[in-house]
Amino acid sequence: MTKKNDLPERDQNNSGMGGRVMKLAPAVDIYENEEEILLHADLPGVARTDISIEIDDGKLSVSGQRKLTGNGALISSEFTSAEFTRTFSISKEIDVEKINATLELGVLKLHLPKSASARPRKIEIQSASNSVH
Amino acid sequence: MLARLNDIDRMFGTMGFLHNRLDHFFHDSENDWGCETGCRPKNNGPRTNFYDHGDAYEVSAEVPGLAKEDLDVKVQGNTLEISGSRQSDTPEGYSTHRNERGVHSFSRSFTLPADINAEKVVANLGDGILTLTLPKAEVAKARQITIA
Repeated sequence: MTKKNDLPERDQNNSGMGGRVMKLAPAVDIYENEEEILLHADLPGVARTDISIEIDDGKLSVSGQRKLTGNGALISSEFTSAEFTRTFSISKEIDVEKINATLELGVLKLHLPKSASARPRKIEIQSASNSVH
Repeated sequence: MLARLNDIDRMFGTMGFLHNRLDHFFHDSENDWGCETGCRPKNNGPRTNFYDHGDAYEVSAEVPGLAKEDLDVKVQGNTLEISGSRQSDTPEGYSTHRNERGVHSFSRSFTLPADINAEKVVANLGDGILTLTLPKAEVAKARQITIA
């Protein structure tokens, strides 16, 4: 993962206030082991069907629409309907077919298995005693 | 990058201003907004929305990653207290590249404009949002008066 593309890409037609829907970058945790990269993202208020995950050309995009349907008179508001969106660069090759995602309690857990060629391989060192002198 | 930060700063400034204007409608008793920390309520409290439905208030709060066992809601008179703690979901055997979500506990209390009928409060948790329906106490409800 490189830092360059970690910030959400900004929609040039929708800069500043007064846009249609506020764009937010979700808070994420990113973990890695030998088999996979694991991403946890906070997406409070986003339904499972409103999440999209795309991988293209070394870029992973995660986005989710939060559609608030509060009726009644609003007394105080600290969060609104929003589009959570964030793009990451992935340096490792990912086995796209085996990506697996779950959404629980407003947290997206995205398992990105590394393709076989990207996993570290243990190399057996041949014993020199068998070699011909 | 600098310009973008300025934009964000300005946006938070506007939000702070709007919140001050709302202050006389709704008083958040313990947690003033800490805009210097990214406009999250201090004490890591969840962001909340308040609605008035006439005979009840509705409060929704962002609590991603918290199960209902991790949350505690108390109502007394016209005060509401929401507290909770987020358990770590860091998997074992992984190295960490980025950790923004954190583990924390919070407690946030609110003074509502009217007393609540604590017996009839309903709480729901779905997709990381806690929604509370807080019926107003009988004495606090608006009543139609017929002129004799």
